[in-house]
Amino acid sequence: MKKSLLAIALLTAVFGATAPSLALAKDVEILNVSYDPTRELYVDFNKAFAAHWKAKTGDNVSVKQSHGGAGKQARAVIDGLQADVVTLALAYDIDAISEKAKLFPKDWQARLPNNSSPYTSTIVLLVRKGNPKKIKDWDDLVKSGVSVITPNPKTSGGARWNYLAAWAYALKQNNNDEGKAKDFVKKLFANVPVLDSGARGSTTTFVERGIGDVFISWENEAFLALKELGPDKFEIVVPTLSILAEPPVTVVDKNAKKHGTEAVSKAYLEYLYSDEGQDIAGKHYYRPTNPKYAEKYASQFPKVNLIKIDDVFGGWQKAQKTHFSDGGTFDQIYAK
Amino acid sequence: MQFKFSKFATALLASGIISLPITASANDSSELEELRGLVQELSQQVKVLARKGEINEEAAAADKKATPVVKAGTSGFSFGSADGKNEIKFRGVLQADHRHFSDGANDVRNRSATRAGSLDANGFHDAEDTSLLRRVRPTIEGKVAGKYGFRFTPEFAGGSASAVDAYVDANLSPAFKIRAGKQKSIVGLERLQGGGDIKFVERSYVTNAILPNRDLGVTVSGDLFNNTLNYGVGIVNGVNDGGNISTGTEYNGEREYTARLFATPFKDSDTALAGLGFGIGGTWTNYTGERNLDFTGTSAADATRNGLPSYVSDGQQTFFRYNSASLADGKRIRFTPQASYYNGPFGLITEYARVNQDVSLLAGTTTNTATVISPNTNKKLSHDAWQVAASYLITGEDASFRGVKPKQDFDLDKGGWGAWELVARYSEINLDDDTFRNKAGTSYSTNTYANLSESAKSAKSWTAGVNWYLNSNAKIALNYSHTSFDGGAGVGITAVNAAGTNIRDRESENALLARFQVAF
Repeated sequence: MKKSLLAIALLTAVFGATAPSLALAKDVEILNVSYDPTRELYVDFNKAFAAHWKAKTGDNVSVKQSHGGAGKQARAVIDGLQADVVTLALAYDIDAISEKAKLFPKDWQARLPNNSSPYTSTIVLLVRKGNPKKIKDWDDLVKSGVSVITPNPKTSGGARWNYLAAWAYALKQNNNDEGKAKDFVKKLFANVPVLDSGARGSTTTFVERGIGDVFISWENEAFLALKELGPDKFEIVVPTLSILAEPPVTVVDKNAKKHGTEAVSKAYLEYLYSDEGQDIAGKHYYRPTNPKYAEKYASQFPKVNLIKIDDVFGGWQKAQKTHFSDGGTFDQIYAK
Repeated sequence: MQFKFSKFATALLASGIISLPITASANDSSELEELRGLVQELSQQVKVLARKGEINEEAAAADKKATPVVKAGTSGFSFGSADGKNEIKFRGVLQADHRHFSDGANDVRNRSATRAGSLDANGFHDAEDTSLLRRVRPTIEGKVAGKYGFRFTPEFAGGSASAVDAYVDANLSPAFKIRAGKQKSIVGLERLQGGGDIKFVERSYVTNAILPNRDLGVTVSGDLFNNTLNYGVGIVNGVNDGGNISTGTEYNGEREYTARLFATPFKDSDTALAGLGFGIGGTWTNYTGERNLDFTGTSAADATRNGLPSYVSDGQQTFFRYNSASLADGKRIRFTPQASYYNGPFGLITEYARVNQDVSLLAGTTTNTATVISPNTNKKLSHDAWQVAASYLITGEDASFRGVKPKQDFDLDKGGWGAWELVARYSEINLDDDTFRNKAGTSYSTNTYANLSESAKSAKSWTAGVNWYLNSNAKIALNYSHTSFDGGAGVGITAVNAAGTNIRDRESENALLARFQVAF
């Protein structure tokens, strides 16, 4: 018995001498499962965080990114995608992970400031240069002959924000008449020729493939299109009303614990709230929640009358059930 | 896409489908405007159709990523998850052998002066020609969650089923892999070559005689320094020389410790040394002789539990065994320097192995007896073996430690002849002369550890052969083996005298060994 113990100790010593890198665990990798348009944001942010983490702990952290429609991404995590953190388009999809996979507690949104949304955004309308269809507001999108590009609300978080923004506009225009709002959104989706599964796909459809007259877009995605392709090709139209989109983030506790990445995952999300994190968000046309950086970037964002989902739709759970669950209003209005 | 559409619109115009209004009312600006709108509408419709096609393709590609992957090929049959992290593989090897002896004695275990039949002057039967199934090993192996795996290989050759390999793996990193269960010993180079990949019908004395075959326990291994250094350490139950442990429980409480280092420092270079590998392995254990016995069993059972090996020739005839009164009692230490070299069609393996084995003699019956080991009979014996084996693929394929993939499969219709390989090996084993003498070294006839009239002191084998790889899965091998022995027979089947002078050498063995193998 003693010899066995001695041997185990020797094995440990031999192994420790031959594979020091394992014992010290200097290289750390985490997976950030995010929604479609955040690719560029997290490329920059990951570099900044890696430098910060290296300086703080000496460890090398590598952040892998996965992007897609928020609903699809949430489903992938529920089905086993080993996300250490999720940074999705809306709270409902993260709620679904908590509820169905039980990978973190239900009150996850209370763990970080601003309901765990380090940045916000909104929905705007992107049109072709010169605005040939003279689109000014949501009601122009239901006119005959106007081709509208938006992703599928069943799979895309951004599309759900689009849909609800249009619905909120119609309610306001029609004295909160739900029937008229439903009819309005039905007409709008009748003008949608292609439903992509995510916002980035819709950007491709509108910007690269030249399809459609107007693209209902994340604000940051619209600015990105202008920046990448030039203001001589597109224009941003700010509607009279839009919706405050609050993309939230959380650590996937059980996955991070399994990977031994709890501390770095938590620090990664907390760093989104840091000065550097907020600055990077602003540079990528997300609206920082830190007042200092909100002010710094205020001039680049248009003034919009923003409604909140809690105020108009009673929160995400109710909105999801009413509009996007199987048999919900979207299924009723959209003929495949 | 834009270009395609322009061509499409131009084609429409040219075809006359929309040319008549233009011709008829060329100056009518409203109609021209209407025509422009129609073209734009058509443009959008074509683009939408194309985009929908793209989206469908993307969806199909995404679905494919989640579709289980089924494979059937030269490496076996498998199915697994699309991400490759979970997989089940079915593999197997079947070897049908024939052994023909033009000269040679049969197994010493069959030697008996009273046995009926035609014995030669030394009491040996001639070695018998035979056909046999050497290996019948289906394998199920798999992995789960990317890092964890298992392998189960039963053996159906030899008349009864047994587990050859049955282990689980945790491949935590390339530098740190844990394997637990019944597995190949990590120390020998030729042993680590797959049973379907070995260049000769039988392995050398280094592998078959001295070094352990398969054992039960835990090993840790890994590749370091850009895979130029492989290490392995293990704690196992411990087996006899050449032994293949049963899957039952250990009867001797002492563990055996194993270790090996193997370097391939030039593997990534473009030099002629790229195929050079060398290393050293070893085992260590310390058996308590009395614990080596089965006190509740019969003497026959004890004979199988004396912790000592017997050794076989190239033709698989036993030419050495310890006396039934001998048992392992004390340390057993093995070490084995080894090297391999591959360059183009040429391959070479060379190994040396030495075992230092402490032995004692039994006093008598072992059943319910307090003292069973004779005092002052403990002795350290040193046996060694070495081999050098060369191979050359005359059809030009690259030689490797693993199997051969022919440039052209054997196919009479298409004219392919597979791969042809010439092989040659010299291997010998030398036993400690003290094995055949008493403790004091004064007598070859009484209180010895092995009987020189039955067992030989050394065996030296020349083997030459040809391997015909019909394809990656089928191989025909033919070996001619000549083995000469030193000692191993008493003149006129009489007992060995004390001086050991009435000994003649066991008859040389000339064997033709043939094999037809299918492995996948």
